[in-house]
Amino acid sequence: MLAYVVKRLGLSVVIVSVAMALLFCMIYLVPGDPASVALGPRASEAMKEALRVRMGLDQPVWVQFWNFYSSAWRGDFGVEVLSERPVIDVVLEQLPYTLALIAGGITWSVGLGIPLGCWAAVKRGSLADRLVGVLSVAVIAIPSFVVAIYALLIFSVSLRWLPAIGAGEPGDLGDQLVHLILPSLAVGLGWVGYIARMVRASMLEVLETSHIRTARAFGLPEPMITYRYALTIAILPTVTLLGVGVGQMLSSAVFAEIVFARPGIGRLVYDAILTRNFPVVSGAVLVTTIFFVLVNLIADLVIGALDPRVRSSF
Amino acid sequence: MTNPTFNISRRGLLQGAGAFGAASLAFPNIAISQDGSVLTVRSYSDLQVLDPAFRLAAPEGDIIREIFAGLATNSVGDEWTWELYAAEELTQEDDTTVFFRLREGIPFTDGYGTMTADDVKFSIERVADPAMESPYAGDWASLAEVEVIDELSGRIHLTEAFAPLWTSTLPTTTCSILSRRAVEEAGGRIGTEPVAQSGRYLMTEWVPKQRTTLVRNPDWPGEPGGFEEIHIVPIEDPSTAELGFEAGDLDHTWTAVSSIQRLRESPPAGGVVLEKPSLAYVWMGMNNFAAPLDNPNIRRAIQHAIDRQTVVDAAYFGAAATSTGIIAPGLPGHRAANLYNYDPDRARDILAQEGATDLFVTLDILNQSERLTAAQVIQANLADVGITCEIKQNDSGTFWTLGDENSGDYWQRLQLTLNRFSMEPDPSWATVWFTPEQVGVWNWERFDNAEYAELHARGLITRDLAERDRIYKRMQDLMEESGQYVFLTHEVTGVLHRDNVEPGLKPNGEPLFGSFRPA
Repeated sequence: MLAYVVKRLGLSVVIVSVAMALLFCMIYLVPGDPASVALGPRASEAMKEALRVRMGLDQPVWVQFWNFYSSAWRGDFGVEVLSERPVIDVVLEQLPYTLALIAGGITWSVGLGIPLGCWAAVKRGSLADRLVGVLSVAVIAIPSFVVAIYALLIFSVSLRWLPAIGAGEPGDLGDQLVHLILPSLAVGLGWVGYIARMVRASMLEVLETSHIRTARAFGLPEPMITYRYALTIAILPTVTLLGVGVGQMLSSAVFAEIVFARPGIGRLVYDAILTRNFPVVSGAVLVTTIFFVLVNLIADLVIGALDPRVRSSF
Repeated sequence: MTNPTFNISRRGLLQGAGAFGAASLAFPNIAISQDGSVLTVRSYSDLQVLDPAFRLAAPEGDIIREIFAGLATNSVGDEWTWELYAAEELTQEDDTTVFFRLREGIPFTDGYGTMTADDVKFSIERVADPAMESPYAGDWASLAEVEVIDELSGRIHLTEAFAPLWTSTLPTTTCSILSRRAVEEAGGRIGTEPVAQSGRYLMTEWVPKQRTTLVRNPDWPGEPGGFEEIHIVPIEDPSTAELGFEAGDLDHTWTAVSSIQRLRESPPAGGVVLEKPSLAYVWMGMNNFAAPLDNPNIRRAIQHAIDRQTVVDAAYFGAAATSTGIIAPGLPGHRAANLYNYDPDRARDILAQEGATDLFVTLDILNQSERLTAAQVIQANLADVGITCEIKQNDSGTFWTLGDENSGDYWQRLQLTLNRFSMEPDPSWATVWFTPEQVGVWNWERFDNAEYAELHARGLITRDLAERDRIYKRMQDLMEESGQYVFLTHEVTGVLHRDNVEPGLKPNGEPLFGSFRPA
């Protein structure tokens, strides 16, 4: 197990390193002068040049690359171009909002996807199974921003049941949860379908195994067989799927944060790209990359711990 | 004692859900608090810096105006006028001297004493000081010095007359007064944490990307603000803001111009839709460096080819009118008509005379729906006279550097651009970007005219309104005669507010949050 953990950790470091190199290339290649955009039309050329020097943009590209790389590995993302606040502070104050959004999305997807998948598997071939199948594909096919806009129009504008914008009163957990319902639904709804399909397929496989047949032969109640014995095994692939799903939800979070005017990493990066605030872009993207790699690492380690076949494949 | 039990039937659940839904409809979520003490408004961007000398965008100015009192401020209404704020007297003694006397006992927060004439001197001179490198130094281009007469009064001395002084300098946040001691202790600049606040409101909280909270200043000696608290919510996307208003989460917002027609026909419940004339100007520019636009006759043909009425109607759904220049109605220098109008036959004749067949041009635009619609009509207009036009959409970070000589060499290939600038209520704010000094900076058309430059300089020091009117009209004539400009529109500002709020708006619809009142 230790060798497996070490290998996965090493692979994670390589992934983050490659992501950093790609990020630098994208930042370097994107057109537009950060100083002109940041300082606005009234800034003199001398002011813009001073800002370029402060940002290190006057250096040769390989020096910029080295500075970026070495600073990032030290955890030093520099300061925001204009407010001069440490980038890490700017990123970390937005990160909890996005994590809450993703956690909400996972709650929707797991909370609805697993029961639906189980139900469809138990009712295999029935109308309910077909209905769940159609619904699953339908919610997978609907883009999250469409869900976001319609959820907002129905539940906020028309019914006025839920708030349309913001993340809730700071310090008021109840208000923050209420503000989380629609954005997290938008982020997580598509994954309800994925998980329902995955759980159904996995359950059907497990329900045919000999130990389940044995349990039935012993006369155990069907709900116990389904949820206690079959589901605990059938759910394993879902853990891996959720690891990938977090990355997908991070992408969906950008739309949700813009449509619902929520704070968060997605909106921070979007604004920072538009204003060419590169220290913030690099800091935020690196933090989310590390987060994504960590989530997948944890998912792999959990699977490895539960399934010896995975460990032995490394 | 028995254990409480909680049994619920399916019918009971449905009844409960129904009652909950009915209650939600009966008490809809609305932004303004029940006692009318909190106003929730939208700004189009979050704050990044609170220093008046280094503010970046209008939303920061809106906050700075409320927390750092200036000598004067813009008045609410349909005319560009000003009113006293921190000053109790503010008079122009002659062309180059302005006398001021502060209200007595305006306290700074955080233990920085009361506002003095020395703070006024410090605040104005730091903006003008070249060493500070403030982008707003030009607002005090003619400043000689600020003389302190006594604790509360002083004189602002100019080197020469400065016409925009009373329109776009004194009433703006360029003239916000800071505590000398507080700023010096803060290292000479203010970041995102305000020190020594002095205005009608105090900033008590900033949650980045979520909310800025202003609270009525209990020690402000003048007329208090209309609401106990103002919550300013940064929402970049106007459509999101409109939905937020319709959902009851906002009391006031700007709207997209393209939404005005829809909102006018079907206003949200409890909402009032206003249209205000904007000072912004939208035009299509032609870079005379890039062939075939280096040929003035080709440029003239393109001017005649554009049906500006159709362009504006299509892009703004009939909510905006066409313009006659870069200076909006109501300001000195506004022209009655354009010199070169839509005449496709004339355009074709000119192109035929020039032997220009199979012309191909590019049109760079910002990736916004209104711009794209306008560009598509322009594309169709040009196709009608035999010119092929490719539309190139750019994100804002790219677009705003396209014509900048210091941001690469694309300026050499830049041909047509669809552009929009906003301005303060003085014509010099519009004309300054097209001087020879601005070629390759913001003058992307590379319009280089000595007479224009001389007139711009003269306009700044001319206080006679009739003379200024002639100067700025002539300047726009020169622009249009060059063939490098097709003036399209000044747009219009759409405003949505609750019917229980009386908004405090400048003539162009920009908010003065401290002047909002419960209706």
